[in-house]
Amino acid sequence: MHITELSLENYRNYLSLDIEFDNKVNVFLGENAQGKTNIMESIFVLAMARSYRTSNDKELISWEADYAKIRGRVQKSQSSVPLELIISKKGKKAKCNHIEQQRLSQYVGNMNVVMFAPEDLNLVKGSPQVRRRFIDMEIGQVSPVYLHDISQYHKVLQQRNRYLKQLQLKETKDMTMLDVLTDQLIQLAVKVVKKRFAFIHLLQEWAQSIHSGISRGLEHLDIVYEPSIDVSEDDVSSKMISIFEETYHSQRKRELERGVTLSGPHRDDLVFLVNGKDVQTFGSQGQQRTTALSVKLAEIELIHSEIQEYPILLLDDVLSELDDYRQSHLLNTIQGKVQTFVTTTSIEGIHHQTLQEASTFSVKQGTISQIK
Amino acid sequence: MYYPEPITKLIDSFMKLPGIGPKTAARLAFFVLDMKEDDVLDFAKSLVNAKRDLTYCSVCGHITDKDPCSICEDMRRDRSLVCVVQDPKDVIAMEKMKEYNGLYHVLHGAISPMEGIGPEDINVPDLLKRLQDETIKEVILATNPNIEGEATAMYISRLLKPSGIRVTRIAHGLPVGGDLEYADEVTLSKALEGRRDV
Repeated sequence: MHITELSLENYRNYLSLDIEFDNKVNVFLGENAQGKTNIMESIFVLAMARSYRTSNDKELISWEADYAKIRGRVQKSQSSVPLELIISKKGKKAKCNHIEQQRLSQYVGNMNVVMFAPEDLNLVKGSPQVRRRFIDMEIGQVSPVYLHDISQYHKVLQQRNRYLKQLQLKETKDMTMLDVLTDQLIQLAVKVVKKRFAFIHLLQEWAQSIHSGISRGLEHLDIVYEPSIDVSEDDVSSKMISIFEETYHSQRKRELERGVTLSGPHRDDLVFLVNGKDVQTFGSQGQQRTTALSVKLAEIELIHSEIQEYPILLLDDVLSELDDYRQSHLLNTIQGKVQTFVTTTSIEGIHHQTLQEASTFSVKQGTISQIK
Repeated sequence: MYYPEPITKLIDSFMKLPGIGPKTAARLAFFVLDMKEDDVLDFAKSLVNAKRDLTYCSVCGHITDKDPCSICEDMRRDRSLVCVVQDPKDVIAMEKMKEYNGLYHVLHGAISPMEGIGPEDINVPDLLKRLQDETIKEVILATNPNIEGEATAMYISRLLKPSGIRVTRIAHGLPVGGDLEYADEVTLSKALEGRRDV
């Protein structure tokens, strides 16, 4: 799929912008603090209805404006879909084919993007929370049911934590209610964990071959999903449920003391192993970067295998971070099949054919003009 | 102040109603000025009467003008069946269907620790008292199909388990008369989970 038109209103430093794109590589060229990343972010927000830079949607609205509007048209192999997202101080409104979508989970998935930004190194280096968010976002793109399950899980989790607090403060002593909330939590947790296992399994298959390509066959990548409650991929739902039940039963006393749910999908983690060693602790900067890149490229293939369309790739300030070999490996992978947006301060020194053929835009203080 | 005091007061009163902002309130207030005096008096009386004469039924918790309510009093109804709902409006919805001939129990809410609503804050203790009556054979849990409604249903079913009374939960899934292709993925997956043998 590719995006053919984008228009912004009151979005960060863009008061009004209309721009058209080709189905190939589009480069945004400009100095620092001109709005290159804002453009990338707006494409991301149009697809995901949330930003990767902030959880506060109000930050996306220009100074002194009441709303921000992003409109775009996505060309897929069979159809062309207009999308619109309006962010106001009261909330978000999402329209697909000019029809307002009641649930954001219905809207997300109409357009698929894969983002690679310097922050993505955190996928390897950062806290488990970053990796959980990555899993949730990626599965959510291809499975609306997962998006629903995970949001319900978090709601029940909040209710359960609140109730544990109330028990801790002796505001209530009704244990039946805790059992009910635990049951509800387990039902959703098992669905979430099963989907995560299946997703990581697929991701690893793709990432392994890509990683070995980037590392010239010298490195072998394993991605291991580590659920906080010890279940394995082959367990059937009923077995998982009983393992979860046992865990919550045995840690009940501690949960009551602490007033918080101690394990579950909200405490899961991913581990990346290169040649059997944990990259987070033992990997070099370069290995961490390569791992993050492999995972992102695997995502492109994974989405393609799920929906039979290539997602849109957003590369924010990363080309300059990669060495020549990795740069050309990346550009070879996307060549001719993935619509890609690149931001950079200069393209000198990158002599790949893909970039020679790219459309180039100059970004200067919230205005964009096409150079080539 | 742009308006004389009486109309300002009227506008303020309308604005206390849900879904009515300053402009709609002003429009309604000016409409009232043009109404016949008798109609206005009637309107005012119905407002006061609705508040004064309506109470909650001491048996089922439904809104009523006499206690117990007409549904609880109706001896032609099946007294072995109790349908548990969250809201008086849910009773009306069930009654419109004209297929259900049992009794009701209105909870006035759902259990939600986040909002500080516990089991004792909704009409659950009264339900348990009611069920000591031997005639009740089945309890139908018709709370809303969301997290809180589901938790409330599960909670009640646990409390009732030892009593041996049959406890059922209404189904959720596809709306009748709809097309499968228009159902959203989440509803469809729920419908699939709840499939049954034919």
